[in-house]
This record gives sequence, C-alpha cells and structure tokens, in this order.
Amino acid sequence: MKKVLFFLLIGLVLSIGRSEGQVRSQSDEEKINGLFAGIPFKRFTQLIETSTNFRFYFSEEETKSISVNISAIDNSLNQVLSGIFENTGFVFTIDDKNRVFITKGKKLDLALPDDFFIRKTAEGVQDSLSRLSDIERTFSRNKLYVIGSTTGGKEAVLKGRVTGIETGNPVFGAIVFEKINFTRAIANENGEFQIKLPLGRHTLFIQNLGGFVEQRQISLQGDGILDIAIEENVISLSEVVVSSEKMTNISRPEMGVQKLNIQSMKKIPAILGEVDVIRSILTLPGVQTVGEASVGFNVRGGAADQNLILFNHATIYNPSHLFGLFSAFNPDMVEAVDLYKAGIPTKYGGRLSSVLDVNAKYGDPEKIRVKGGIGLLTGRLTVEGPIGENTTFIVGGRSTYSDWLLNVLEENTDLNNARASFYDFNFNLSHKINAKNTLRLNTYLSSDNFRFDRDTLFQYQNQNVNLSWVHYFNERLELETVIGRDHYNFGIEGRDSPPNAFDLGFDIKQHFLKANFTYALDERHKLNFGASTIDFRLQPGFIAPSGSESIIIPEEVNPERAMETAFYVGDDFEINDRLSVNYGARYVFYRYLGPNTVRVYEQGQPISSSTQIGEQGYGPGENIKTYHGPEFRLSGRYILNNVSSIKAGYNTNRQFIHLLTNNAAIAPTDVWKLSDPNIRPQWGDQISIGYYRNLKIDTYEFSIETYHRNMKNLIDFRSGSTLLLNNTIEQDILRTDGRAYGAEILLRKNTGKLNGWVSYTYSRSLLRTAEEETAEKINDGNWYPNNFDQPHNAVLVGNYEWSKRFSTSVNANYSTGRPITLPIAKFNYGGSERVFFSDRNEFRIPDYFRLDFSVNIEGNHKVRKLAHSSWSVGVYNLLGRRNPYSVYFTPVNGILQGYQLSIFAQPIPFVTYNFRI
Amino acid sequence: MVKRIQIILTSILVSLILLSGCRDPFEPDVTMMDLNYLVVEGFIEIDAQESILRLSRTTPLRGENPFRVESGALISLISDNGFTWEFVEKEAGTYALTGTFDPNLTYKINILLNNNQEYESDPLVPKISPPIQELSFTRNEDGVNIQVSTQGTENALYFLWDYEETWLFRPPFPTPFIFNPETRGIDLRKPEQQVGLCWLENKVNRIILDNAGRFSNFRINQKDMVFIPNLSEKLMTRYSISVRQRALDKDAFDFWEIMRKNTEDIGGIFSPLPSLIRGNIHPVNSSNTSAIGFVSMGKSSKERLYINVQDVRPWQVFIPDYLACLLDSDTIPPAAYALEFSGPNYSPVFQVVNEMGAILGYRGAETRCADCTLRGSNVRPDFWED
Repeated sequence: MKKVLFFLLIGLVLSIGRSEGQVRSQSDEEKINGLFAGIPFKRFTQLIETSTNFRFYFSEEETKSISVNISAIDNSLNQVLSGIFENTGFVFTIDDKNRVFITKGKKLDLALPDDFFIRKTAEGVQDSLSRLSDIERTFSRNKLYVIGSTTGGKEAVLKGRVTGIETGNPVFGAIVFEKINFTRAIANENGEFQIKLPLGRHTLFIQNLGGFVEQRQISLQGDGILDIAIEENVISLSEVVVSSEKMTNISRPEMGVQKLNIQSMKKIPAILGEVDVIRSILTLPGVQTVGEASVGFNVRGGAADQNLILFNHATIYNPSHLFGLFSAFNPDMVEAVDLYKAGIPTKYGGRLSSVLDVNAKYGDPEKIRVKGGIGLLTGRLTVEGPIGENTTFIVGGRSTYSDWLLNVLEENTDLNNARASFYDFNFNLSHKINAKNTLRLNTYLSSDNFRFDRDTLFQYQNQNVNLSWVHYFNERLELETVIGRDHYNFGIEGRDSPPNAFDLGFDIKQHFLKANFTYALDERHKLNFGASTIDFRLQPGFIAPSGSESIIIPEEVNPERAMETAFYVGDDFEINDRLSVNYGARYVFYRYLGPNTVRVYEQGQPISSSTQIGEQGYGPGENIKTYHGPEFRLSGRYILNNVSSIKAGYNTNRQFIHLLTNNAAIAPTDVWKLSDPNIRPQWGDQISIGYYRNLKIDTYEFSIETYHRNMKNLIDFRSGSTLLLNNTIEQDILRTDGRAYGAEILLRKNTGKLNGWVSYTYSRSLLRTAEEETAEKINDGNWYPNNFDQPHNAVLVGNYEWSKRFSTSVNANYSTGRPITLPIAKFNYGGSERVFFSDRNEFRIPDYFRLDFSVNIEGNHKVRKLAHSSWSVGVYNLLGRRNPYSVYFTPVNGILQGYQLSIFAQPIPFVTYNFRI
Repeated sequence: MVKRIQIILTSILVSLILLSGCRDPFEPDVTMMDLNYLVVEGFIEIDAQESILRLSRTTPLRGENPFRVESGALISLISDNGFTWEFVEKEAGTYALTGTFDPNLTYKINILLNNNQEYESDPLVPKISPPIQELSFTRNEDGVNIQVSTQGTENALYFLWDYEETWLFRPPFPTPFIFNPETRGIDLRKPEQQVGLCWLENKVNRIILDNAGRFSNFRINQKDMVFIPNLSEKLMTRYSISVRQRALDKDAFDFWEIMRKNTEDIGGIFSPLPSLIRGNIHPVNSSNTSAIGFVSMGKSSKERLYINVQDVRPWQVFIPDYLACLLDSDTIPPAAYALEFSGPNYSPVFQVVNEMGAILGYRGAETRCADCTLRGSNVRPDFWED
C-alpha cells in the first residue's frame, strides 16, 4: 500500500507540471506495479512514464472518456493496456523505442518511409509548440525529438531558435544546456542558438531569463534544427537576470563567488522598503557588518576598505546614503551583483578582501519603458529604451522628497533645523556601431547633504563617468577598453560663529584606463589578459577659514599622487570533462609620485617625531617610491558526479590605498591614504577549499567552503592618535599582521513556491602587532580579535509565493556580538571617576538577532495594461529587539554608568509603491 | 575641531537619523578581578605653592567600596643636580610639598610604597603657563557659556584647564527662627546659625584640553569651559568659577587626551576605540604591577570670575530637591512648639501675630525646605568676594 501511495504521490506532483523527475530504466521488459483506481487515462500514462521508459502518444480528446481502474502486480505494459482498452475500440502499438501509440480502431503502422526524419528536418520546424495548449507542453518536454540523419563522426551541431510561447518573439539570452558535460549555448538577439553535442540521447534544458526551465529530449543523429518555444516571464522580463547559478554552483571553476540578482534582492525585506544592494549581500555567507548604520561590510574577516566596489567599471568609495542608512545604488538601475570573496578574476585587483561588481543596465532594446517608485523617504524614476536601431539608454534618478521624517524626529529631540537630503543619478548608454563594435557610456552621480543644525553642513559626492568600447576581432577574440574617472569628496562647512567658521574636507580623484582581452583559444582554453592603470590624486584633508573674521589656521595635508599599473593574464582551462582550472597572475607596479615632502626616519627605529632625521622634497611627477610584485590567482574544480563537485583555490592580493579609521564602522570623516615610503602596501593571501552539491534535481544547492587568510602590513593605530588632518600619520600607525579563517555553509532553494536560503558562517579575524614594530605592542604583541570579528553568523532568507501576485518574505539574522574593549577597573583622577580598559577587544557585546518581514503585492499582469504596479509592505526588526550596536561607560554625576546603544530598536514599518509602464 | 565633528556625528546618528535608536543601561558580566594598580595624580608647582600628589589604587568596576588610598609611601622629588625634597603625607594618600624649584632643571619623582615596591617617573621638565588672558561668559537662549581665552607660545602649546565652581543659593523658605530646646521657645537665629543663604561647590570636573598650535599666533579664543543651562541654581544669586590653567608637554597632553576620550567620548557610533592609558610613572622593578598616572611639573596660572544673577536676567531657577515644598497653613501655638519643632524634620518659618502684635505662633515647613545647610555650607569660603 505504501508503494502505491508513493506512486500516486509522484503522479500528483507530475500532474501539476513538475517534469524533471522522470526515472529512466534501461530494462526492456519493464513491469508495471501499482493500484490505479479510477484515474483518467492521461494521468495513468504520466504515472507510467514516471516509473518506466515508456512514452505515450495519443489524442487527449479521444481518450478523455477512458477511466483506468486496474491493479497491476508485475504485469507487462501489454497486459495492462489490453485490460484498459478492452471493449473500448482503442488499440495500441509499442515500438522498439518504447513509444506507445494509442489509436482508435486501426493499429499504427510502424513502418515509416525511410526519409521520414530527414524530410522533417529539412522543413526546418519540428517543434511548433506555440500551437499547443499548456497541458500539452508538459508532454512535449518528455517527447523524444530525433534530429538529423545518421552521419559519420561523433558530434553534431544543433541549431535552432528560441521564441516566446505567447508572443513569438525571439528570446534573447536564453540558455540552452545539457547537464552531463555542461555544454551550453546562449541565444542571440534573434533567439538563435547553436550547440555542439555528441551524438546520442540528450536532455536539453532551456532556461529563460529568470524564467522556468524548459526541457527537450533529443536523440541527436546528425546536424539539425530544433526550434523551441518557451514561456516568457511577462511579469518581469526586464528586471530579471540569468540565474544560471544552478549549474554554475557545481561547474564554475572559481570559488567564493556569490551572485545575487535584483529579483532575489527584492525579496529581502529592506529598511524603509528600498531594495538595497549592500544590505542584500549582507545576507550571504561570509559577509558581515559591524552594525546597522555602518557604511562598510566585512568579507571573510577583511576590513571594510578591503572591498573593491565597482558600478559598471566605476570605483565607488562611499556606497551609501545618509551615513549608511541606504545604499547608493538605485535598485531600478541594477541588474545583478557579483561578489567575489575568493576567486577574484585576474582582471580585478587593488583590494585584499573582495570585489563587489554591481552591474547596471543599459536599457531595454524593444521599447521605451518607465519605472518608478515612492517610499517613505525617497522617490525614484527610471526611463529606458531604444534610440534608433543601435542605441539604447537608461536614465534613472532617486531623491529624498521631503524632510517629514526629520520633522517628526524633531518633536522628539531638541535638534532643530536638521535637514537631510540625498539624490543619485545614472545615465547609461549603449551604442552598437556595427556588428563588431559597441560603445557604452556609464555615468553616476550621488550626493548627500546633511545639516545637523543651522551651523554645520555635511556633504559628500560620488561622481563617476567612463566610456567602454567593446571590439570583436573575430568570434574568438574580444577586447574591451575602458577609460574613466572616479571622484569622491567629503566636506563639512562649519558656521558656528564667525571666528570659528571653517571648511573641512578631503577628496579622491582617480583616472583609469583598462584594456581587457578575452580569447577563446580553443574549446579547452579561454584566455583573459590585459592591462590596467589608475592615476590616483588624493587630497587627504584640509581645513580652511571661512570669512574674514575666522581665526582658523588653514591647514592642509600634502596632496598625494600615485600610479598603479597592472598586467595580467589568466586562463580558464578545461583539462577534461571533470577537471577544470582557472589560473592566472597579475603583476602590479605602484609608484608614489611627487610633488610631496616625505619624512625620513632612522633605520630600525620606531617611527616617531623623535626619530625623524629629515625631510626630502620631491618635484611634480618625480618618483618617490616604487612597490611592485606579483599576485597569483588559482582555482580548480573537479566534478565528482552529476550533482557534486569540489573546488580549491589560492590567491594573493596587494592593496595600495588605505582607509584611516579608528572606529568599528566606517565614518564619513575617515580619510583615505596612499602607500608611501613609510606606509607599506597591504598584502594578503587566501587559501580555500569547498564542496558543492545539488540536491533533489537542482531544487536545492548546497555548498561548504573553508578558507584561511594571512594579511601583512595592515594598519592599526597607536593609543590616542588623531587621524584627521594629520600630516605625519605614519607616526601614529602600527604595522599589524592579520589572520582570518572560517567556514561557510549555504543551502539554497531556487525554485518552487518556497524559496530562499539558509547560511551559516563560522569566521575569525585576528590581528597582531607586527614583530618588527617596536613603537607599541597592542595586547603585548599577542593575537587579538579584529573589531568586526563575529565568529558565528546565521542568516535565513525565505520567500513564499502564495500566488504570482502575492508573496511574503522573512529575513532572520543572527551573529555573535562584536568584540569590544571593556572597562575593568575604576579609579579617581582629575576630579572624576575614571575607567581602566581591558586588553584590546577582550570582551564582546551581546549577540545580534533580527527578524524582518515583508509582503509583496503585484498588480495584475495583463500584458496590455498601461502600468504595472506593486506594493511592498513590511516591518524591519519585527521583534523590536534592542540589538546593541555599542556599549560604553560614562560618568553620570560622577558615578560610572554603563550604557548600550541600539539602532533601530523597535519594529520599523515601511511601505513602498512601485510602478512600471 | 575634530572632537566637535565627532560629537556632531555621534549626535546625528544617535539622536536623529536613527529614528528609533535608543540607549539602555548596560551591566556587563565583567569579572570582579581586582587589578589593584597604583594610581598617581598630581602636579608639582615650582613657584612656592603647595604641590599635592595623591596615591590610590584601582578598584573593581562594580566594587562598592570607596577608593582605596595608598598610605605610608615615601615620595621624593629629585633634581638632576642631585637635590632631593621629601613629600609629607598630609592625610591618608595625600602627599604635599611646598617649595621653589628652578625651572631650568630636570626632575624626577621616586615613590617607595610601604610594601617596598618602588616606582619612578620619567624626567619632568617644568613648563610655565602664560597667564589666562580672559575669563568671560556669554548668555544665549539656552543658558550661560563660560569661556577662557589664552595666548600660547612656542613653548606652551598644550593646555589643560580645570576649575572649581562655587555659588550661593537659598532654600524656598529661609527661616530666621530656631527652636530652643532649653527654653522650649522659638529664638531668632544667630549669624552663625543662619540657614537662609548657603554656598555650594562643584569639584566634579571635565577634562578640558586644547592645542594652541592649531590657531593663528597660538591664540586660543573663547574656549568653552562650562555651560550653565537655564533653570540651573548656580545663577540663583551669585556664582564664581576659578579656572586653573596648566601648560603641558606633548606626552602629558596625549595622556590627558586619552583619559578624556576613554571617559567622555566612548560609545558613540563614530567614537574612537578606547586606548591604553599610560603615564610617566613606571615600576622600577618590572615585575611589579603597572601604575597609572601622569605627573607634570610647572607653574600654573589661575583666574576667578564672578557672575551675578543681575548679569543674566531673566533667570528662573528650578531645584529638584525642593520639589513639593509647602508652607503649612496651620499655626502652631506656643504650647505645641516642642511637639512640632523639636524634631529634625520640621521648622518654624513664619511668625503669626495678631493685630496687637502678640505672637500667636508659627507656621512651619519641612526642614529640608528651610535649612540650606542640608545641601550646602553656611560658612563663607575664604576667597569669596561679595
């Protein structure tokens, strides 16, 4: 009985369209077992198809009246069918390929003309699925298409065209792949694809942009054509990205790479309803943050300044608005993000920990589309579309639209006149000059203004522009050249009183030029090589008097200039079907250039004002100090079987620009500093190993990765150092070694009504004052935890689609409290009770736990409706848990009192309205 | 400047953007471990003023016991030309020395504890502070700001200020009457018994530091010292502040800066991490426990400022201690004086007489509302000028 139930269950699952689960049996004499009680004939055939190799071909219309009522125990199909069709007038024919043809009255003649298949191929169209009804689509998934005429050779080329089932339009970007050798092809803008496969039986999978996976059974006998109609995802065609992680999880050679498309990000409940790139990646294993209002994030025990954040080639130095409350990326502009935690491609460099590559869109090629949304604090609008045949554009803006939030706050604080505003703006253009040349323009501008009282204005801006030119020399060689400029500046205008009026700020400018070649050497080698150079110009800080009455002395930290040039080559080498390696190297030259004045210190002595023996001036462009060295990138993958693989990797990195921060979080006042003769470049390596497995036919993917990192020449600070406007910052720096290690476990479900992921990360990040550093030894030169060392971290992101239009999401986040230096004794000094602090980071703040909830409601999906709208409603920190961000002790009326400070200490409801035309 | 930015940033994030951020008391499970480090505090005046050094011990953070003073130590000041002066223990843990010392010599402090542990200071170079140029105040809508201005020199760049505040206050029902237990009658108070006007002082100080090197001509202009918010009792009638200014060297400045940061500037979003407190006192034998403290030497300068309520009017006062103070409407007849007024909690305040001038009795109020000596002192301080 159990067995029957099991059968029926499978049947049930299949009958609602899940067809991935057929089991192929090689036996010719397959036996039928089970109780088939009063089910329609169609259901019966599905059940049989599930458990056996038989495939049924019949008219649904004709067999509608047949009800199956039979109990089979080790019967042959012949016996069973004879029983079913007794006295019905139906007859059946089973051919040598286990195909079962049901006809009325007359048996099917299996002797086909010899040229039958060839003629069909010649007709060009075999699959005209767009004419079939939905139910019959399921059927065509399991139908065997025989393609081509038998020819010599082992491989054949299959060509075809992928079109949408409803529209008949070509589906650009659809992926056609098979899962044995992971051969794949991508449909071009006309929906055409071409794939080379060994002769024989294959299951081809066709994946639409973020849509369902369609499949075809083919028997490839020779070159041929197979046109495929697949379901288009009308809801969100322009918003979705290829989610090919399913197979890439196992098969891509790099490791430590996380992809997140905007669709997944939208499912994560966000603060104030705004889809947030940075907050979304914080849900991935190995990515942590010290607190909710911090700008930065930490990847695998690395500091926040060790992440390279790219937005279509542009380096973003401050990826946030309102000091970290929002991320600076307009969600409507973003297509997907790639986070490289370990397997950083050779073309990227300059940071130790990670690369966050945010891919922006270039606009819809079909028609003008308008998208927008309005939330509690911000409004946004995006327009995209074609200009002529070869050009597409996208322009998007986002801005705070009112100060009401701050006005509400004013009632609860004594701070009047506070004003906060920000905006960001994108304009991207893609122009196809001809088939071989494409130009792309990326521009980005973000700006923040914050007035705390009427006297003090904070502001910061990102300004980025770059132009890329993609040139296809031939089908195998492609060159992308990018030239661009990135600019970030921060400033404070203080107008407290005329004598103390000041302007303070710093900025970073960089110009860059990159040339990246990709060359498909042969089927086994894919080369990637090129060069890049960055010209840094930093103004690390200045203060200037404002107005004639001001007595502030103008002060300026010497401007800095440097060139970072790198050459690299990498090879994606598929050694055989199972083993693939990705190896490469970069060689980096860094030159610190004049004009500047550099202080010279006694050799072998701690750097301090008393060991300074002189200063040396350098003229413009003069080479002050050169650092150079190689970086290695190596990763390999070995496929164990269809559903699992192991990977390992080793890489090294160098970093020449450092963020001077004394806080756990990145504060906007933290300035950047280039490596100079006294501050060496940071160096780090990472070794990692991982195991990947897909479960339940790719419904679940599981991965575990472990890593160990070493870092050198990190920067920690001596006691009591001042970082802002410090022209001799090297006298306050302690050279520090770093060490980080951990394991990351991820279980992800990509499909189905219930989807999402659970991740657990164990990670440690430790520091130690370098042995050769003699100025001061933090914690007596022992290892101590980094400010963001949070050993245990668990995240749950769950999304349940009740219907196409209604879904709910939950996000739960747990992590160990971050380390803190606590007072451990008290004493009386200077008239007050004072505290004596423990060793650096000896204790921890309480653990962090947060639960968010949101509901997404889509408007109806009539294709011809003027505007599509959706609502996002939810609550951030549903439980209202007061997660301490920080704890501190302060004397209140002379008595020492401890406090913990929480951010977002109560549930925060939000609502956002989005529309799309 | 940097501090101001820190404060602004902290305030922004703590109180403003983070709409529902909040602050809760926090009692960590920190060990009751007793470090018992020696704490040395003091300043050696070179100009015939009394120099005070205080020795104490750190206590556990949650220890209830009062601060432990270190008594019975021998402290000597040794000049580099070989002279030695001994400190005298004035009271337990407080050691004093008065003398005139050559500002051109270098000195050191030697401390021998009664458990035979010995500590020594780094060399001390006397620093002479320029005079305080101006001590002034400004009234604004929120209260009164007291500011100091000084003129630094190349040799005196780093400044540390501390201050003592003293002010006069009155209780709600100052009474000229007192119960006489011998006569069981009500007498007028003698001058030394007056409880209607008292002095109160505040010695709980903040550390105020600045670096004159940041300003043109090393001039520190109107540096905020103390802020007296509206409704404060300090300006009820007359207020006085005495500011002491000391010039420090860079190391001492760093020490005080760390001390200040560790105590006053920790825990905000953008606050720096706490740093190690060091000092210039070290154990002679390195196996002894460390010491905390920085002893400086030099000549300080002092300035006193008086502010009368007339200068800042209108000035309303609210004293929480005097909440719910009422004058009872019942008149206590002479027969009931002993019953009502002999205790410590009830005092005669208002004399009730009939048309003929005969005393019918007294109306009373709680003593806490009538006797200012319960909060302050009715002894006029030596320095006080009317």
